[in-house]
Amino acid sequence: MEIPYIVNPRKDTGLINSKIAIWLFLASEVMLFGGFFSAYVYLRLGADYPWPERTLPVLPGLINTFILIASSVTVVFAWVALKLGNWRQFQVYMGITVACAAIFMVLKGIEYNVKFHHQAARLHDYSIVEGHLGYEKDGKGELVHDRNGDKIEENMIRVVADKLTFSVKRFHAPWVNEILSEAKHSGSEIKLGADIKAVTEQGEKEETLAKAGEPLSLELLGKIKDIQLSALEHNASLRTDALRMEWKEAKKENPGKKGWQLASDVNIDMDALSPRLLTEISSVEFVVDPPTRLLFKPRDIKEGATSSRLRDDTVISGSMEDSPMVLHQLDAIDFQWLVMKAEEKGISPETAIAESWLMKNSAFVREAWAWHLARNVEKQEVLNKRYGFKEDGKTPKQTLTHKELYRLGWKDLGEMGVENKGVKIGGFDKIKEEFMGPNYKARGEETFPELSVPRDQIRHAAKFTPAWNTYYAIYFTITGLHGLHVIGGALVLLYYLVFGRKMFLSNPEWLANRVEVGGLFWHFVDLVWIFAFPIFYLM
Amino acid sequence: MADSIEAIQKAKKTYMMVFGALLVGTVVTVLVATVPALDIGGHGFDVWDAVLGILIATTKATLVAAIFMHLNHEKKLIYWVFFGAIFFFFAMGGLFALAESSPIFDEFFYK
Repeated sequence: MEIPYIVNPRKDTGLINSKIAIWLFLASEVMLFGGFFSAYVYLRLGADYPWPERTLPVLPGLINTFILIASSVTVVFAWVALKLGNWRQFQVYMGITVACAAIFMVLKGIEYNVKFHHQAARLHDYSIVEGHLGYEKDGKGELVHDRNGDKIEENMIRVVADKLTFSVKRFHAPWVNEILSEAKHSGSEIKLGADIKAVTEQGEKEETLAKAGEPLSLELLGKIKDIQLSALEHNASLRTDALRMEWKEAKKENPGKKGWQLASDVNIDMDALSPRLLTEISSVEFVVDPPTRLLFKPRDIKEGATSSRLRDDTVISGSMEDSPMVLHQLDAIDFQWLVMKAEEKGISPETAIAESWLMKNSAFVREAWAWHLARNVEKQEVLNKRYGFKEDGKTPKQTLTHKELYRLGWKDLGEMGVENKGVKIGGFDKIKEEFMGPNYKARGEETFPELSVPRDQIRHAAKFTPAWNTYYAIYFTITGLHGLHVIGGALVLLYYLVFGRKMFLSNPEWLANRVEVGGLFWHFVDLVWIFAFPIFYLM
Repeated sequence: MADSIEAIQKAKKTYMMVFGALLVGTVVTVLVATVPALDIGGHGFDVWDAVLGILIATTKATLVAAIFMHLNHEKKLIYWVFFGAIFFFFAMGGLFALAESSPIFDEFFYK
């Protein structure tokens, strides 16, 4: 089928069809991103925590901006080359455009990756620590790997389990496997605590489904789950039928009465019904013999001193061991939120900080904070020189920002390492830091020391992902959606580059129009970034 | 849009000039935000930094839309679509202000 008006414009609109189509599409895109930027404003104005302003690495963001702008120029030049009938030049310019897209995504990938591996924890007093987690090691100091061969982060909840109660409907098979392999590894057996007996057919006698001592297996849990599901179905339909009968009778006996007047008297006769019901088994209990230590990711477990619960409703009886979160490289100390909370209660920031768990328990934090306070005095003097004082001659016109006053970021700790401990790093390592974040290897433990935070001090902990706060949620939403647009646009442009030759020879105008339309989309991708860059990186 | 060869050659120069302007705009935005001596308004990020940042971004966006996307001489229908989209962009952006009993609304308009 021939598509009309793709080379020559329609008379009434004066346009080729594909151009109208792409503009309509771009209009919908404007509204889509508009909605998200609006969400950003809403979240920022409404945030009940200190918004992390100017927190992303500017240099890679800036380079990415240059790259996208450059690619916007080259895509126009590629179109111009087609208009002038120069295939070679088109190839060069389009090639550069696609390469720019690739570099953009690589830099974005590095930025995301750094975030995904960077840990943060908010303590109960609202102070925040950030850094890199260490990995679990065995008695000999060798790294411990899980059954997938991955290193295990030193951020696990350790429970010495003596009893496990699985929810028959909700148990999560991979976790059951994990528990089984951990128990096997430590020479422990997980056995059924008591016989499971049930009536599985209406009118039949109770039968034994599994005997006490039977080992835990997915087959066993699956079998009980099937029996449970069919029992639930059977019982539910019996109950529904019985209730329907009751309603019918009640309506017959009380003509003219409304349903709500009868409702309290309409009940199922359970005595009559229960002999017909099948046994419901909602959970099964297993004994761990001998009790063994199991490790769980904090997000999977709600831990307690003697009993914990997994997200799949598995209850683990047994005592919880010390399960600290160990930051092997502490790289930021943040009292901004703590101060905000303290001021709400009328407590002075100094008192609140002095009383914080971090100041009381970490000599490094005390040292760093003393250095930070001294440096802030110098910084304030610089401000006083620049902006001067108010009329009273004492109050400075401009003071340090909340962030400068109450947050020690990794760059600050780096400076402190240089000043206090003489840690020096090379130029290449420094540039690397602009892209990859703090260079733990080059700066060493003196700059980024170890900090162990007891589990009961942690209010909330996460990597720098949407789980950490709404800032990262909207950051990943907008930049992620933008990244998908970059990939999509680049694929279309790459298609023209690789497969466009035939069309160039047969119908060059058509190809030029296609490239123009693809280019329009590409410019739009650039437009979104022109706003996203200052908003996320500089504000 | 430019279709004759001369016009296209001329347009190439314009594209390069716009490219330069976009780079300069980006550099200015970054410098104002990162170099303390160039900080406008009060110390640190404040409303003036936001206004300047958005203003420069809008100028850059206008250049891209007008020159690269050829909106400086387009057919009427495209303008309808484009300005319609811009209208709805602001309409959507303003939606949150209509949220009733919004703590944000109260704080920013009644304090």
